[in-house]
Amino acid sequence: MAQIRLKNVSKRWTNFVGVDNFNLDIADQEFLVLLGPSGCGKTTTMRMIAGLEDVTEGEIWIGDRLVNKLEPKDRDISMVFQSYGLYPNMTVYENIRFPLKVRKVPQEQHHDRVMAASKMVELDDFLQRRPAALSGGQRQRVALARAIVREPNAFLMDEPLSNLDAKLRVSTRAQIKNLHHTLKRTTIYVTHDQIEAMTLADRVVVMSKGLIQQVGTPMEIYDRPANTFVASFIGSPAMNLIPGHMQDGVFTGDHIRVDGLSTQVNGPVTLGFRAEDAVMAGETGQIEAPIYTVELLGEATMISMRVAGELVSIKVAKDYRAEIGDVVRVNIAPAACHLFDQSTGQRIVPGI
Amino acid sequence: MSDATLSQKRPLPLTILITVFIVIWVVLAAFPFIWTVWGSFKVEPDFFSRQSWWNAIFGTYTQAQNDGNSFTGDGYYGAWVTREFWRAAGNTAIVTVSVTIISLTLGTLGGYALARSGRGYAFWILILALVFRAMPHITLVSGYLLPFFQLNIWGVLPTSIIVLVAINQPFTLWMLHSFFLSIPKDLDESAMVDGCSRFEAFRRVIIPVMWPGVVTTGLFSFLLAYNDFATTSMLLSSDNQTMVPKISSFLGSVQEQGNVMFAVAAVVSATVPLFILVLFFQRQIVSGLTAGAVKG
Amino acid sequence: MPHKTFFAFILPSLIAMVLFIALPIVSVIVQSLHVEHARVLVEVESCQPFGGCTTETRVDTAAMAELRAEKPMGQFNGLGTYLNRGHLAVNEIGAILASNNGFGDIATRIYNLPFYKALSFTLVFCFVVTPLAMALGFAIALAVNALPKVTKGPVIFFSLLPMIITPLIGSLILYWMIQSNGIIGASLQHLFNDPTLSLRASPVLTWASLLFYGVWTNAPFSFVVFYAGLQTVPGDTLESAMIDGASRWERIRFVIIPHLAPLATFVALVQLMDNFRVFEPIVGFSAEANATSLSWLIFNDLSGDAKLFGSAGATSVLTIVGVIVLLMPVLIRTWQEFNHKVV
Repeated sequence: MAQIRLKNVSKRWTNFVGVDNFNLDIADQEFLVLLGPSGCGKTTTMRMIAGLEDVTEGEIWIGDRLVNKLEPKDRDISMVFQSYGLYPNMTVYENIRFPLKVRKVPQEQHHDRVMAASKMVELDDFLQRRPAALSGGQRQRVALARAIVREPNAFLMDEPLSNLDAKLRVSTRAQIKNLHHTLKRTTIYVTHDQIEAMTLADRVVVMSKGLIQQVGTPMEIYDRPANTFVASFIGSPAMNLIPGHMQDGVFTGDHIRVDGLSTQVNGPVTLGFRAEDAVMAGETGQIEAPIYTVELLGEATMISMRVAGELVSIKVAKDYRAEIGDVVRVNIAPAACHLFDQSTGQRIVPGI
Repeated sequence: MSDATLSQKRPLPLTILITVFIVIWVVLAAFPFIWTVWGSFKVEPDFFSRQSWWNAIFGTYTQAQNDGNSFTGDGYYGAWVTREFWRAAGNTAIVTVSVTIISLTLGTLGGYALARSGRGYAFWILILALVFRAMPHITLVSGYLLPFFQLNIWGVLPTSIIVLVAINQPFTLWMLHSFFLSIPKDLDESAMVDGCSRFEAFRRVIIPVMWPGVVTTGLFSFLLAYNDFATTSMLLSSDNQTMVPKISSFLGSVQEQGNVMFAVAAVVSATVPLFILVLFFQRQIVSGLTAGAVKG
Repeated sequence: MPHKTFFAFILPSLIAMVLFIALPIVSVIVQSLHVEHARVLVEVESCQPFGGCTTETRVDTAAMAELRAEKPMGQFNGLGTYLNRGHLAVNEIGAILASNNGFGDIATRIYNLPFYKALSFTLVFCFVVTPLAMALGFAIALAVNALPKVTKGPVIFFSLLPMIITPLIGSLILYWMIQSNGIIGASLQHLFNDPTLSLRASPVLTWASLLFYGVWTNAPFSFVVFYAGLQTVPGDTLESAMIDGASRWERIRFVIIPHLAPLATFVALVQLMDNFRVFEPIVGFSAEANATSLSWLIFNDLSGDAKLFGSAGATSVLTIVGVIVLLMPVLIRTWQEFNHKVV
């Protein structure tokens, strides 16, 4: 049983900061996703937890042990790598068995545990093959089986789905979620794909440039992004962000005028709203602009237009039809609007 | 590059030009060897004939001296038996095999560390190795001689072996370093997470997959030890000489005695292993030569 | 990787390199500052019954041996060896510059000093053989690339031979052929109808045959590297060049050569390093009368009975300086790249 704590953890190279002052408590059995664009420090954070990277500063605790100086093998974790790291000279069976072998688990348990793990990821038919003779998805499952065979304190997964094609990604995602439910182990999962983060996580940590941007449940992050970075990273399409000016509860900008907002905020701000929160208006709309492009998505139609220099996307009914250049009018409910400080990008909470 | 589509459109004169050029080059590259192998079975007046090199082809004098037979193994007999070339061949075998094995052992460990470290000092060790690689061997030899005389370890095989290993290290390190870079880091890292120490990960996971690179590097270590003249000729006493310095010391003595054919036979004998090597390991040699270039 | 593990892995290799490459360099430098002991002479009077007495000067072997045992390096000579006639020849060059009959005279007289003679051949060998071998190798690579698949293998096999061959043996094989009683030498005599024609006799012909040997043995390496490089030329770029209307030559000039340029730098670097130590062909061709190299000078000092450690050491140090000068552009560039990468 392991909770994992990171206290003021930093990773610095000669003059490059990889992770800056990272603080987080991960509860036992939690599914935590580290989310961010490439180079944001999420993989480095995970590698520090695994012991594959030295910690420059700070403390990492797994359970009640300070593990800073421990070798990876002594941390009792297992890890799934982005390119799987399967041993090409061993069969699937031997690959899965390897952790038991090197950890000197009694010989007689090996077979049962390997079979149990392989059953869980549906690999029974491939046990005698070598990794080279497997498809990407099968290799991925071998890596998973090798991670779960040992029943460690925690699972670490480094972008395990990024080398799979779109369809396989969805089914493997479901499998991982299910495994977590069955095995009930602390899991840390690194990804740059916000859909994976939203679907898998109990909690998401959004990172950028080595800093934590926001920690929260998927819904919190979606509904109340802490800053413009999170707002623009989460959701598909990302939140529309429009620079403009607030005065007496009215937001104004090029082609846009939204009223009924908080009267406590004045000055330059960034207004954010999600594509699905906008509704088509009749005679007058808060946004009035010519259509830039119309995209049919199937379940809905996405129209976009230029507002205050930004391309703004709006989701409308799937039978909506219009030509490029037509002027549309759109309303946004004040409650669906988010306000961000224009210089810092931080969320402005009226009343504080 | 798709040669099929390109070659279809090639005009005839160009094709002829290419063919002629390649034929000239292949003759240039191969003829000296064929000629010398052929000539080594003749007597000296044939192979070194002032009158006409047809003598060498038909073996005019060889027939005269050899009861009408136009081939003779006298050169080989003289070199291997009379002049005890077999001793040198044995020494060469000992030296090359030991050098290859020791170089590879040290080189795989070091090359692996260099490939996985990624720190500043690993980079500087590689640069230092590059500088060492450029040192003419003979300049180092002039540094060895005096200390080796003092320590009384001059002239014996082990000294030469260890020196050749050291001279070989920079190259071996570079090559194995770039080879290990091509083995995904995930492999040893997953072994370490699975419960191995760094050395165990190296032994259990890296060693089983490193053989292609080790074989290629080993070929070049072998070649360096086999082809060396500067070091072995200065560091080995005449009793312990390997083939190449032995041939060089042949030259002086046999020429005076009219036994040049001994040297020719010895030269051909020393070439044979190289032929075999290229024949069997052509692909590894080519890939080894390019590995450093493409990656480094 | 933690420092401790790193050094545990690399230590054996590092020790070997320090002991047998770094220390010898130090040893060479120390040696170069010393010179052999002056001979200890004793006067011996030998009297014969009817001839009276004669005094003879002899080398006192016992005293010499004692001296050697005491100071094996010889006596300290400072930079004396570097400046003497056999090396930088400072005084001689001063004299030549002070009185001479024009530039040609200076050149000839400096060339006759042993160190400069060796240096000039070494440099000429480096800077003539390397580009020629690279050009030839590139041409072979292009031609082999155009061959049908079946013939590629054998052609590559034969092409590797001149490179893989032991340098001393390769040069002997060629030397035997170009001797006046070898096939090429004899044919040339026949061709020019000049029975005295000998590649060995004239310095120019000796140089030419050594350079030929250099190109012969160096070309395969460039060939192999360039050939491998040709396999990685992006097909898309070549095809778009064809669609854009580039001729065969223009495709080579604007697509293939730029693609191979980084490889060419590598090949040039490796071959310059290797050619700078040119040595075996001079022994193989018995060419020392007309052409010597720095490595050969060192070899010559060390072989023979009187081992001139001081002299060999000085030449070695000068050679090492030469290598470092040769590598300087690379080292500077690496240094800059390294700093750049960190910043």
